[in-house]
Amino acid sequence: MKKHPQLLSLFAFIALIIFVVVPFVPLILSSVSFSWRWPDVLPESWSFRAWEYVLNDGRTWQAVGISLWIALIVTAVNILLALPAANALVRYSVRGRWLFEAIIFAPIIIPPFISVMGIHLTFLRLGLTETVLGVVLAHIAPTLPYMFRAVMISYQTLSADWEDQARMLGARALPRFFHVVLPHLLPGILAGASLSVLISLSQYLITFIIGAGQVVTLPILLFPFVSGGDPGIASAYSLLYAAIAIAALVGMDAALKRYYQLNKAPQDSGKGVKP
Amino acid sequence: MSDLRIIDIEKRYQAVQPKNDASFMLRPVRLSIREGEFFSLLGPSGCGKTTLLKLVAGLLKADGGEIWVGDKNLTNVPPESRQFAMVFQQSLLFPHKTIEDNVAFGLKMQKVGKKQRLKAAHDMLEHVGLNEFGSRFPDELSGGQQQRVALARALVANPRVLLMDEPFSALDPGLREEMRELLSRIQKDFRVTVLFVTHDRDEAFALSDRIAVMSEGQLRQVGSARELYERPETTAVASFLGLRNILSGALKNGRFVSSDGMIEADVAKQLADGDYFMVIRPEAIKAAEDDQLGHVPVKGIVEEMKYGRGMYSLKVNTGNQLLECVVTTPQAEETAVGEPISLLVDMQKVWFLKE
Repeated sequence: MKKHPQLLSLFAFIALIIFVVVPFVPLILSSVSFSWRWPDVLPESWSFRAWEYVLNDGRTWQAVGISLWIALIVTAVNILLALPAANALVRYSVRGRWLFEAIIFAPIIIPPFISVMGIHLTFLRLGLTETVLGVVLAHIAPTLPYMFRAVMISYQTLSADWEDQARMLGARALPRFFHVVLPHLLPGILAGASLSVLISLSQYLITFIIGAGQVVTLPILLFPFVSGGDPGIASAYSLLYAAIAIAALVGMDAALKRYYQLNKAPQDSGKGVKP
Repeated sequence: MSDLRIIDIEKRYQAVQPKNDASFMLRPVRLSIREGEFFSLLGPSGCGKTTLLKLVAGLLKADGGEIWVGDKNLTNVPPESRQFAMVFQQSLLFPHKTIEDNVAFGLKMQKVGKKQRLKAAHDMLEHVGLNEFGSRFPDELSGGQQQRVALARALVANPRVLLMDEPFSALDPGLREEMRELLSRIQKDFRVTVLFVTHDRDEAFALSDRIAVMSEGQLRQVGSARELYERPETTAVASFLGLRNILSGALKNGRFVSSDGMIEADVAKQLADGDYFMVIRPEAIKAAEDDQLGHVPVKGIVEEMKYGRGMYSLKVNTGNQLLECVVTTPQAEETAVGEPISLLVDMQKVWFLKE
């Protein structure tokens, strides 16, 4: 009986290797090969040509910057939209609640391409195409559902008693939000933010249509190399993209941990100061 | 004087209904609670006592009536500005704040300086016997300690009225008694007005100066514990207070005859003729053979014997009626379940009710 969990973890480990690590191997090999043609198992010659191209090209770092900048703004806007929406839908008996939820969750089910075609026409008239603002607005549709869902679930686990207690201690609306509601929602907000950042980073089609090639994010830069260009450079871009996505996730996680540590800090210093 | 006055406050169900009796969650309540008084709302769950408490707090909006403290009308003042404090059934300590910061929270909201409010929090923690726990986090404390912190947090800002919603019902019995003593002591130290909601009559009796018995969204009777127990106004109040020996019958020319014919006796009090309920407290019955003046003999068969706190409580079947009475241990040793027993009812201690 005791061997069972070990066997299970072995399977999990093998699955991890096959599905997560193995796909990276050809990507890495391809990015450092000079030419790698079928039926060679390994590239015949090596070179850092692709990496030199990718890392030295000024456009790369500009694209990384714009990608992160857009992801960040999109996430911030999502938080501002999702908090009141979740608050209203969870706390108040809204008539036709299912309709509001359906509208917010629709982009998960309906392909974003459909809505973007309509948005594109409107943005053309408003002059929002080819601008970062336009791309940010267009990115909100596919990312907001994830943020909203995470925040809504956090709200559902927050009993109204907490806020009532804060009120009875004299806390007005703003202090109530910052001292009671926000700390409770923070893990949910962070989960939603991670998804929002990742999904925004990975948008190609929407960015391409609204940005019209003028707003160059990393996927826009990457795509031509994938579809028939240079597989070596495409591999290098893909790896760079993965690294940035992972860095964004780890960074946000570290920020949350730091926040909790800062809040716990008075405990340690308090012990020594006690008279 | 800043008495808390509740003037005809009422609450209806949210659903829009034609104005009938069933639409009331709480029928108009009029109460005046003196400054420094310990006042309890006692009733079964769903009787509207928590609704009344939340109306006083302002957490629920009343459909009519007013709340006054002294000469200030607080009816339209939001709860955060009423300077009331409240302790809930759960301690509801903010989990990401230390005990000290939790206790100081009310003062922080009043923008009291950090040094001053931490000192006040420290003093208050000392009152509840937790001065060494200031730098800990709530999840490191036991349930009873958490509730003591909640009490300290409620009192630190010197509230006009302390509202308590069954604060000890989640604690185990021993701890509950300890908390009652602590609350009683602190209430006297701070001379704070307390409005206390409970469904536990022992708790209400042990703590309160006055008690209001509620049922079905209505205030039934207000009085001290002894008044309520010895002179209940309705059978509903009597049975909620644990008085189960209630005999219906008729009074004619100073003589009461119960409808089941179990008791027929002269009544000492001056009462008009008519139908009455006679309430016999368990303490008004004793097990004895020989007749005594002012006592009425009753015979029956012991149906149940239970031991509790030095006395036996007996249920005696007298034909149509079960009588509850308490007897001393030696008396109980002379009888057993199924045995006949002779009882005497002290007519000085019985109480008559119209409804």
